[in-house]
Amino acid sequence: MVEIRFRAHVDEEKCVSCPMCANVCPTAAIALPKKGAKAVVVDERCVSCPNCSGVCPVDAIALVPREKPLVLGVDTSDVDEAEILALCRKANLHPQQWLCLCTATRVREGAAAVLKGATSPEDVALMTGTRSGCTVYCLQPTLRLLKAHGVKVVQPEGYRWYDVSLTCWDVPEEVRKKYPGHFLEEDLGVFRKF
Amino acid sequence: MQSQPTPSAVRRSIYGPEPKQRAASLPGLVGLEIRALFPDVPEAIYVEGGDLSLVRDATRKALADVDMGMIREGHSVNILASQYGFTLMGGDAYAEMLKTIKDVVQERTGCKRIRLRVCTGFRLREPDEIIRHHKLDEVFPRATAAVRPIDKGVAIETEVGTLYGVAKVYDADWIIHAHHGELRELDMHRMINRAHKPFAMSYARMETRAVAHMNFGPRSSNFIAKVIFDSKFVQRKFTFGCFLLTSPQGITGVAAGSDLDALDRRLMLTGFKSYGKIRELFAEIKDCIAVLDATGEPRYMIGGGMTFGNATEAELDLFDLDIMPVSLGFGIYERPPGQPKAKSVSPALKALVINHMWLGVPQLELATHIPTFAVGQDLAKLLRDDPMNHDFMRHCVTAENLETAMKFARAIARTDNVVVFDGSFGKMTVSPALAAHLSARAPEVSRRVDEVLMPKWLRQRGIDPAAAIAGVM
Repeated sequence: MVEIRFRAHVDEEKCVSCPMCANVCPTAAIALPKKGAKAVVVDERCVSCPNCSGVCPVDAIALVPREKPLVLGVDTSDVDEAEILALCRKANLHPQQWLCLCTATRVREGAAAVLKGATSPEDVALMTGTRSGCTVYCLQPTLRLLKAHGVKVVQPEGYRWYDVSLTCWDVPEEVRKKYPGHFLEEDLGVFRKF
Repeated sequence: MQSQPTPSAVRRSIYGPEPKQRAASLPGLVGLEIRALFPDVPEAIYVEGGDLSLVRDATRKALADVDMGMIREGHSVNILASQYGFTLMGGDAYAEMLKTIKDVVQERTGCKRIRLRVCTGFRLREPDEIIRHHKLDEVFPRATAAVRPIDKGVAIETEVGTLYGVAKVYDADWIIHAHHGELRELDMHRMINRAHKPFAMSYARMETRAVAHMNFGPRSSNFIAKVIFDSKFVQRKFTFGCFLLTSPQGITGVAAGSDLDALDRRLMLTGFKSYGKIRELFAEIKDCIAVLDATGEPRYMIGGGMTFGNATEAELDLFDLDIMPVSLGFGIYERPPGQPKAKSVSPALKALVINHMWLGVPQLELATHIPTFAVGQDLAKLLRDDPMNHDFMRHCVTAENLETAMKFARAIARTDNVVVFDGSFGKMTVSPALAAHLSARAPEVSRRVDEVLMPKWLRQRGIDPAAAIAGVM
């Protein structure tokens, strides 16, 4: 379970209606309703990551305490363990592997979120509480789980995230052979051992 | 040989409250001189507070034979800098190298559109702090910009598909790769394509960084950097690389050239020479209290010229490519027998005192593996509210001040060995007991590295040890 104790707050006096905050929000919690409008935060979607406040060019966004923490997490007890394992295997991930280091969330919880109906990285983040920290590392296992489940992920407009999920499993054999000093085959062997 | 400790100055930042007392001022701590431990570690031309003109001269000398003929007067050039360079001894040497690159390019090409891109990791406001602190906007008027991994991307077609760089890195006719040779996170690069790494990190979008860290092993992760660097897109813009060279002694020189593979080989050889022995010496510590007290995040905090991250993995020889990899991608939190460790923490670290640090990376494993003490309520609050370490303070206690923290740490760790990561180069801030132990072990470590380990590390990378030792080393 991840406890989100803060939320983003926009100072409308300062906001210059640029789209930077909307482009970096991992859960699409902040947006400009129309061109020239001030940024608006949907509180229940905000996971209080440092992105919007970190890029705002006029310091218009601050993280303020929530009255009541938002508690996020996926109950895996009602998901078939065999299905979790099968999905992880298909994504070439170990169920106990980190999904998100910042929140100490394992891959198995992300797999459960996908099996429970998540269809985008934003959904997985809002169900598990991941992407509330650095927002970076957890995107890869998230995309891999979604794609392994057959979800056709749709890259959002702007640059919130780009659809890239290359793994060492995907490197063609001829390329692996071309880069012998890069231990591609050997590291793949370690992954396989899992 | 021992003298007064010389901690690095702490840079003011929103990412960490200033310490009330520096650890080096604790009674009894000494500065153990690196040159007394290992006289053959490359000597410094600069340590903090020294003569920056020596860095400037070294940069000019390194650039003297570098081809800049592709840059025309009306072209635009981006000098690419990474935030970590500015944490080395306060960052003045790195800033001096950047300023000198600009001057030399301008003198040689007549080009005036030379901009500075300051790249960062997770501390999104840090580039602005760096630019202010080093007054870089005076050197690059209206031509500095922060580069963050969440900024707008640019597609880069590589041999293995599309990867993304940060658009602001590549929004010029030409780029100059201005980096450093400090060891930093050996667990993530294993001295394979160390020189190329920023192309998949500092200069890359978050998806690309995560591909390297999460989807590849540490021996193979810099394959991503290599294919990006080798892409037509980057090759069309790349001019040369310029590296600030370091050893535990300090800044040892500057290397530059347009052949990045050749520079990488040089960084690898000097890396072994500079850091092989100090890393191995840390493995000789069987129990100690580590104190964090410098600018930056714990893993990249320097003590005796080496990062804390490398000390936390000291029991693994990460230069040795046969050692099972440590990796975020392989990250099993509690490893089953026979499987690789995830972000290991050396069992020799019996207690950890955090006197000063910056937020900036997930590092929960420190608090869950080592009895950890945060000094002061300000630091505790910062850690408690840190979105990248949600549970850290659940595993850490708060001490009112540094002396109390040390008292508790000694009671828990039951050792007189103390090592401080206070940003110092040239000396290691340690307790007298640890100084005596390290001094006694250094000769055997030196012999082992020279006769056994160094030849092995070289052979593993296809290099004839005899030729390498006779040549660059």
